[in-house]
Order: sequence, then C-alpha cells, then structure tokens
Amino acid sequence: MTKLGKRVPQVVSEIRYRLTTFLVTNGVPVIDASHTLTGKDFLLKIWNIILSVPLGIAIVDKSMNSSTLSNIFYEVGLMQAYGKETLIIKTKGTKIPSDLVRTEYLEFDETFEGELKKYLYSLLELADHYETLADQLENNPLLAIDFLRRSYLISGDEMLQDKANSIYATYANEAPMLRNINNCVEKLLAAFSVPPLGKKSVVKSI
Amino acid sequence: MSKKKSDIVQTKNPKTGHYVKIDRGKGEIISHKKSEGPYKGVPVARKRNK
Repeated sequence: MTKLGKRVPQVVSEIRYRLTTFLVTNGVPVIDASHTLTGKDFLLKIWNIILSVPLGIAIVDKSMNSSTLSNIFYEVGLMQAYGKETLIIKTKGTKIPSDLVRTEYLEFDETFEGELKKYLYSLLELADHYETLADQLENNPLLAIDFLRRSYLISGDEMLQDKANSIYATYANEAPMLRNINNCVEKLLAAFSVPPLGKKSVVKSI
Repeated sequence: MSKKKSDIVQTKNPKTGHYVKIDRGKGEIISHKKSEGPYKGVPVARKRNK
C-alpha cells in the first residue's frame, strides 16, 4: 500500500524495489493493486486483495500528500479490522497518525532487510499460534475456522484446509439444517482455498 | 460448580509475548495476561499433531 502511478517519490521506489527483491528472494509472493487489471471497480479489487492475503505492507513517506496517506491508512485500518497482519515501513522523519502509533513500524535504513527477516520469522510463529488457538476453540466453529484461515494464509499448509472442513462437517452433522444452506457463514469460511495466482501464501505489499 | 481443570488452557501469543486463557468447553478466549509469564495452575496448550 503506497503511492502508485506517476510522481512516486524516489525513496518510495527504492523501498519498493528492495522490499520486493527481499520478499521474492525469500519465497514470498507480492501483490499490489496494479498487479492485475479487472476492468471493474478499483476499490472492490483492493477489498478482494485484502481478503486474500495474510499481511499488508504500507510504505509511507513525508513527501506524500494527504489524500494518498488517507488511502494508505484506510487500507491499513481495513486490514486490521479483518484481523490481517499489517506492517508500516516509513522513511525517517515521517509521522504516523495517532491512532496507529501503537502499530509497529520499520524505518527504512541500513538495517531494513535484517529487521524484515526477523519480522517474517515472527509471522511463521504467529501461524502456529493461530493453529493452536483453532485446535483449542473447536467448540466455536466460526472462531476455529477463522484462525485456521489466518494460519493457512501465512503458511499455505493445505492440512489446515482439511482441518477446517472437518470442523465444518462435525458442526453440520450436529445442525443438519446447515447441510442444505450453501451460503451460511461457517460454510463460506471453511471454503477458503488456494490464494490468488496459485501461490502457497500471498503477502499484499506496496 | 467449578469447571474441569482441563477445560481451561493457555497459550502464548508470540506477537505480544503474553499468555491468553481459553475456555475449551465454551470455545472462548476468556482473558489475556497483562504481566509476564504464564497463568499459574493452567495447562499450556500445544499444537495438535496432524
């Protein structure tokens, strides 16, 4: 999440380049809003991307105008509301809005790649934590399946899909009327599957 | 009547470093520990084997 198109600050282009290189080298696919052309509503495309990824990375610089920053922080807030992980990368001297001051950020400097690596490792730990929570919350199928979905988006482990389907099947057996409802929340949640572009896990960035 | 001990477990959130307590019977996260370390007398849940 950052300024796209023309007149992108040079430092932002540099961050994007180094970030993308780092992620791709570490086997993490990258998607941005200009990645695909749908011919449909642009915001709808952003929502779809946001729902399909485990992590959103925002890049902000003090030279960006307020409308660009509003868009970026709207997307950060939306991702947080959906329980997605977010990471803000800022250049030195860039201020973060007060509602987001508690959100951890990375400052773009010479330690950038090293810090990013640590962050990616912590994400994998988080995937394990979500799976543990799902295991313990099986009596609450909605919550359990949601944690499995979050874990799956990070790790891409297909066994998590089987677990989600198994929880849903147990739940549907106890509530037979659910079997004939195709759009019940539990069934929709349990239907999480291969992320866009056929990638194992997808990180939304830039 | 008090709950069966095994119904309540805890696990550490790696993001915050704090433990969360879970009521497995109800399927609810019931509390987040504010201080360091685990809750006393509450078993720590591990990821199940696949």
